[in-house]
Amino acid sequence: MPVRAQSVFPYPVKKVTLDNGLDVLLVSMPEFKDVLSLNVLVLAGAGNETEKGKTGFAHLFEHIMFRHEFRGQSDGYRKAMNKLGAFNNAWTWFDVTFYHPLTFSSNLDAVTLASGEVVPGLLELEASRFTALEFDEKIFQTETGAVLGEYRKNATSPGLAMTEKQLELAYPQHPYGHTTIGFFQDVVNMSQHYEYARWFYDSYYRPNNCVLVIAGDIDVATLSAKINTAFGGWEYQETPVIDVQDPPQQAERRGHVAWDADVPPRVNVAYLGPKFVTGSKGTAVGQILGELLTSRSAPLFRKLRFEDKAVSQLNLSATEGFHRRLVEINGQLYTDQYAEGGESYQERVIQDIIAGFGDLENFSSTENANRILEMVKSKYTYDFLAQLNSPANVALQLAYYYRFERDPQVIDKLVQSVQDLTPADIDHYARKYFVDNSRVIVTMAPREG
Amino acid sequence: MVASKYHDPHFVLRFRGAGARGAWQLTAVVLLTVALGWAKPVKIVVLNSPSELVQVKVMVRAGSASDPAGREGLAALTGRMLLDGSFGDPSAPVTKDMLADIVRPWGEQASPSVVVEKETSTFSFTVPKGVFSEYAVKVLQPLFTQPLFAGDELERISKETKVYISATLRLENTELLGLYALDNYIHEGTPYGHLPAGTISGLKAITVEDVRRFYKTYYTAGNITVGVSSGDADIQRLIQSSLSGLGRSVRAKKLRRVPPKRAPAIKGRELLVITQPTTIATGIHLGYPINVDRRHRDYWALYVANVALGTHRDSFGRLYNEIRQARGYNYGDYSYIEWFQNRPFALFPPTNTPRKNQYFSMWVRPAGHEYAHHLLKAIGWELENFVRDGLTGEEVELAKNKARVLYLNLAETSERLLAYKLDDNFYDQRGNGFLDGYLAAIDALTPAQVNAAIRRHLQVENLKIVIVTNEEWGARLATDIAAGQNAGGKDAAAYDFPSREVDDELVYDIPEDKRAVVEKDRLWEAYPLNLSAGRIRVVSSTQLFESARLIGR
Repeated sequence: MPVRAQSVFPYPVKKVTLDNGLDVLLVSMPEFKDVLSLNVLVLAGAGNETEKGKTGFAHLFEHIMFRHEFRGQSDGYRKAMNKLGAFNNAWTWFDVTFYHPLTFSSNLDAVTLASGEVVPGLLELEASRFTALEFDEKIFQTETGAVLGEYRKNATSPGLAMTEKQLELAYPQHPYGHTTIGFFQDVVNMSQHYEYARWFYDSYYRPNNCVLVIAGDIDVATLSAKINTAFGGWEYQETPVIDVQDPPQQAERRGHVAWDADVPPRVNVAYLGPKFVTGSKGTAVGQILGELLTSRSAPLFRKLRFEDKAVSQLNLSATEGFHRRLVEINGQLYTDQYAEGGESYQERVIQDIIAGFGDLENFSSTENANRILEMVKSKYTYDFLAQLNSPANVALQLAYYYRFERDPQVIDKLVQSVQDLTPADIDHYARKYFVDNSRVIVTMAPREG
Repeated sequence: MVASKYHDPHFVLRFRGAGARGAWQLTAVVLLTVALGWAKPVKIVVLNSPSELVQVKVMVRAGSASDPAGREGLAALTGRMLLDGSFGDPSAPVTKDMLADIVRPWGEQASPSVVVEKETSTFSFTVPKGVFSEYAVKVLQPLFTQPLFAGDELERISKETKVYISATLRLENTELLGLYALDNYIHEGTPYGHLPAGTISGLKAITVEDVRRFYKTYYTAGNITVGVSSGDADIQRLIQSSLSGLGRSVRAKKLRRVPPKRAPAIKGRELLVITQPTTIATGIHLGYPINVDRRHRDYWALYVANVALGTHRDSFGRLYNEIRQARGYNYGDYSYIEWFQNRPFALFPPTNTPRKNQYFSMWVRPAGHEYAHHLLKAIGWELENFVRDGLTGEEVELAKNKARVLYLNLAETSERLLAYKLDDNFYDQRGNGFLDGYLAAIDALTPAQVNAAIRRHLQVENLKIVIVTNEEWGARLATDIAAGQNAGGKDAAAYDFPSREVDDELVYDIPEDKRAVVEKDRLWEAYPLNLSAGRIRVVSSTQLFESARLIGR
């Protein structure tokens, strides 16, 4: 009988929903004296980019949000933030864009500097850019140059090209079919699409499509009213529904990247996993696949890395999404073995990875299956606990998982769902998802000649 | 809150649970060895955290600067071999697979990891408090005191490291390549002058016997400091007893007192152009040695000056604002007064990578090839003017404000708090460590102090510069730069200024708010780099990291 896990999330969460639909989560962590982590999660990412030729705009918008003309002043938001003093950054992924400034709690409200100048507080500054962003076309165009720079800095590695190929194969129609930064040519052309960028903001940057999470040394009792004053005027609007479905995959799909440098060949074997649903068996198994397949205790990892010495790296990625995301294993091959064995060596590694996925179909028959699963559960719980180590990290974990069902107890429920797993659940997951007609394989090797 | 002291190894343990018997045996061993004068206590630095997860860091005062000539990579391989090369009783060794199974239920961080830098090798692991005694008996004690250094593991780790150097670093990452190349370039001919991971020829030469010798020399009680995030005296005693089997080495103690040779002084400017086959943009790096580390009286003044010039991964710094924010050339532009490992990926400086020899550096992340010459001039001009004009009082106050907020990130987790304690110990900052004195030191600074530090330690005449680009642009940049010609950046069309046709020609109107940008562009364009052909070398990335020499074998 499954054991009820103790609460892993160590802090009470106060949830408030404003009339405009903005969900607010407040986490008091007074032991982090004078630390304030204010986070806004926008439910828009690369998966909201449905127009051909206009990929990368969610990410571009992450950049634009830092160029807000606060109180009509060019670059006013950034200048005010610098006067206030805050670490200010953000990131974009397939379904979300996450803004996470960090400062002292005493900077929540307006601050008077030694010079006598009054600088607006963090709450006002953040509310200003989310509720009434102002940016002109010139700023927009300049920022597209920074995004192009971001693409360029990553382009030397074949990993980006492999991912682009893999997503195109896995999602021929759905907008998960491109990376967050977008296709190179779309990034080059971004500066011409100012109007589309404005549309993107107007459509998705809406209170009902966002979550505000504040963690740290805060006064929960008085904060709700201040938030309502700052964010209450943000106008509710229904957001576009992404209703793009890929046709059913009929067979394994394969692609190849030929690379113009003598780098070690690679393979990438992926399957379409289930969409994220807190508490579901499929989501719970997805949380521990890395431990079962590519940890140092995993049979597949030991075979390929240590026994056969067939790969120098082997990693699994299984990320959460509103739509079905890929569960993928990447292996980096050895150049000298490829020189001797060529594609047959590459194919052998691919088949070993497929077999490793397939072995999970009979996980419950593995010797000591129950004991192994209990160890994995223990590890998973400790790993989660270790991540909840600062206001910023607590806010991040909470917001990241909260977005799915908007349940403030999500982390405890997620951990409990993993605790409740049985070996047969692993079998069932593998039989359902690790099948030939949901497999996508991408190989990479130096271009011949 | 935090105690830093030597701990008495004479103790009584009160452990319960699975590891209790083993813990008692350890106690008996340490009492006997201390009584007989064989053991020396390790130094333990304590962070008194209430967490149920106990973090431990073991810092060995030896890194790649201690690699023997021709055996570059030995420190790193020794660290990895402790983790992967089996330990314990030779007739029933604990292999790396068994180690993975032992630590598995306790979380990913219970699996020990190691970071090897120039002067340190730091092992880290995190263990639930309730199983600490079991961990000490099964892992901590045998891993450090009974390593077996299995030969086939050396072969595997060495091969994987060679792949990292020859492919990942040389061919797949423009940014890391440039940063490590500059690091080697500045320290050319010194023990700092090769990658901590080693060199291709060094890795080929290293034997198991070399690893044993390195371990015996440097992994000694007197050469190790342990950081632990628990005020529990039993846990500290258990650490002490676990490491009591470490030997003594007079040699290591003597070597520690001699700081590694400093980087040679740079006379004038030198440029190394590195070509990489698939890069689609050009990155720029420059630097020169400075005689300032965390104990120097100008450290905090220079720290604040650097915040103003080039805060890492932040929109605050002047370089970022001029190059990215105002002109959109690239993803970011920063400066540093200390070694900052892993810059392309880390938002904040990694801990436990301390160095006694530091250098100032500037970094322009990859930008369009056609703008590289212009941007090199731009950062030269910016640095020269920064040194000449210093900062206004208002700029210093803003930078101090920014520096205060950075404290929140640097001190964010107990892991970082503990790690800084170990770094304080490395820098001999007893009683007033980096984080302990951070906010007070920033608050106390005056603009005059900051500007004096800029004048004393920053300069632009003597620099080593690294450019990473592709083959076509490598040759072209070397020629253009040697010719000493002006080099423009974005023109009116690239800025997309409003235009009109006059006599069949497009005439651009510069918007009012862009005039300052255009005027500065002209200053950058004409800035003299003073780099003659004889001071420029063009090499392929495949020629780097082969041996202790900067280029080739």
